[in-house]
Amino acid sequence: MRGLQSALFTGFVSLLCLSAGGSAVAQEPIKVGILTIRSGPAKPIGDDILAGIETATKMYGRVLNRPIELVVEESLFNAQAAVTKATKLVQQNQVASILGTSTIETLALLSVADRLRVPIVTSNSGSAAITRERCNRWLFRTNAEDLMSVESLRELVEKTPRLQQAKWFTIGHDYPWSRLVASSVKGVQDLQYVGETFAPLDTTDWAPFIARARAAGATAVIMPVTLGVPLLQFIQQANEFGLTGTAVLVSPIGLPDWLVEKLGNTSTNVISAGSWAAWRYEEAWPATKEFNQAFYAMHGRVAGMQSLQSGSATLMLYNAVTKAGSVDPEAIVEALETIEVNTPVGSLKFQPNGRQALVSLFLGPYEKLDSPRYGATYAQRADPFPASKSLPKSAAEYGCKL
Amino acid sequence: MDWNFLFVNILNGVVYGAFLLLTSLGLSLVFGLGRVVNFAHGALYAMGGYALIAVMYGVGVGYWLGLVVAPLLVIPIAMAIERATIYPIRQRPDVDTLLVTFGLSSMIVGGIEYVWGTGTKLLPPPAPFAATVDVLGNQYPLYRLVAAIVSLLVSAGVLAVIQFTPIGLRIRAITDDPGMAEALGVNRKRLLTLVFGCAAGLAALAGALGAPIFAIHPEMGMNILIDSFLVVVLGGLGSLTGSVIGAFFVSLTKSIGGGYFAEWSTAFLFLVVAMALILRPTGIFGRGRVG
Repeated sequence: MRGLQSALFTGFVSLLCLSAGGSAVAQEPIKVGILTIRSGPAKPIGDDILAGIETATKMYGRVLNRPIELVVEESLFNAQAAVTKATKLVQQNQVASILGTSTIETLALLSVADRLRVPIVTSNSGSAAITRERCNRWLFRTNAEDLMSVESLRELVEKTPRLQQAKWFTIGHDYPWSRLVASSVKGVQDLQYVGETFAPLDTTDWAPFIARARAAGATAVIMPVTLGVPLLQFIQQANEFGLTGTAVLVSPIGLPDWLVEKLGNTSTNVISAGSWAAWRYEEAWPATKEFNQAFYAMHGRVAGMQSLQSGSATLMLYNAVTKAGSVDPEAIVEALETIEVNTPVGSLKFQPNGRQALVSLFLGPYEKLDSPRYGATYAQRADPFPASKSLPKSAAEYGCKL
Repeated sequence: MDWNFLFVNILNGVVYGAFLLLTSLGLSLVFGLGRVVNFAHGALYAMGGYALIAVMYGVGVGYWLGLVVAPLLVIPIAMAIERATIYPIRQRPDVDTLLVTFGLSSMIVGGIEYVWGTGTKLLPPPAPFAATVDVLGNQYPLYRLVAAIVSLLVSAGVLAVIQFTPIGLRIRAITDDPGMAEALGVNRKRLLTLVFGCAAGLAALAGALGAPIFAIHPEMGMNILIDSFLVVVLGGLGSLTGSVIGAFFVSLTKSIGGGYFAEWSTAFLFLVVAMALILRPTGIFGRGRVG
């Protein structure tokens, strides 16, 4: 009798311990690392990225019945800092994945991704090499790459007679992306290209470069200028000098919505040759509308393209973890390779055997809204350009060999 | 040769040079008088921009009155900062004050971010000057011309004070021979605090004038700080005449370089400054004199 009682008691205690252990695991958060810009002129980009991730996290709720804990690290927009912080996120904070990186950070993390061994989902990196010849099984991208934007520029020119007749000039910063954009313009057949100028990265006074465009008689100026304060300064000064009266400004990847709002009526002089997201497409995509509403409720402003993109990357990740049924990195990677999710930038999936999302770009001018929406009074009139046209070939044909 | 294009670039250079002169004069004065390399000068420039919008939108004054009030708000703050941080370590090696002012810069920018946030603010030029004017066949922003004229007038006023007034005489005396000047009764400590404050006022005025052109954000002073250091190093630390020559040399090199060589303009500028320092290590007019 005593033996039976003892056995029952032991069994009961064991059952209690197992339950407690189980609910402890259930309560233990899943940590997700965010590596992004938190200071300097590009900080507004990091703000938008973080806000998008926070919104998507709140929308999705618990993952595997566990809360999500976001661990934010400042990348300083610097490659070495990015590697250091990413290593810290993985080794010290034990994050299951990393979100939020821009081109500089992503390129740096490519070299250590095999050592970090966690999925990295970038939503703000333009360099095509990331998912082409330098593709890595751990690194996924949800935003469109540079060379997809080249195709959308061609589409924009073909659809807009005014741009076909224009004298094109490039004003950008002196770094590889600007020259890629310039060469893409030059590559469009029958376009009249009248010149280019590339300003040092610390330029605040754009007067000499604007003068060069005017001297060349430019009537279309494409502006691969760093997103953030520099682009704001450039457009403002171009307007100040009256360049917007004689030339249309073309933004290669669109304008962040916070910048559109600051420019106000000046933004109507700009056409986007391929924004990474467009909140106004919400009537066509319910997921976009749901995100817009949640974002506005949380942050009191409209979701800009970086927010929509980072939110989409976040939802892809959480859906992948759910599908994987665990936070095992290999399982998450396998899930990411095959899932298709309705996100704020449309139905997303990654290229078969690749790491680039098949995502649309959005062409079109900026205009004043009939009535304010989500706090925005100006926004892009978005016309989607599907990935089937901007990324028609397979991942292997683009040089990605996993 | 496109003479019109050259003319526009020279005009751009002269306009930017006027801003640069305003900030460089203050930097040069502070070094000449107190041997202080003030890394916080750029942050004080930014403070001027924020002080302007604070009085314009907080109190409701117009732009031009705000332009007068903003530097006057910054001056006592700068004087208090100097007394609290630089004054106690004045006798220590120059690198100590350099580090302290570097730290001050971060603190001021952090304070600006705490109060106003990290976002960029656009300030339109005052209404009558928001248009462009025809300058020899070129449409040029009227506000830039007006701001440049204001900068030049204030700079001329500063130079006149240094050259023709009793207080200017004291400043020159301290710069030439601190020991003798103090022996003759010049209060160097009080003068340095006053000059530090006035230099901050000049930087703040430049920041307020530049706000409608370059936008307002916490780190708006960094680029002009670097250019200002180039000016004072090229012109000669402590030399106001050198600052005048240096300001327009730097601005014209940047502008003409930007117009013709674009991506090489900054490299060319630094190369020229390096060559000048190799040939004349103290700068063009660097003899430790003010004036």
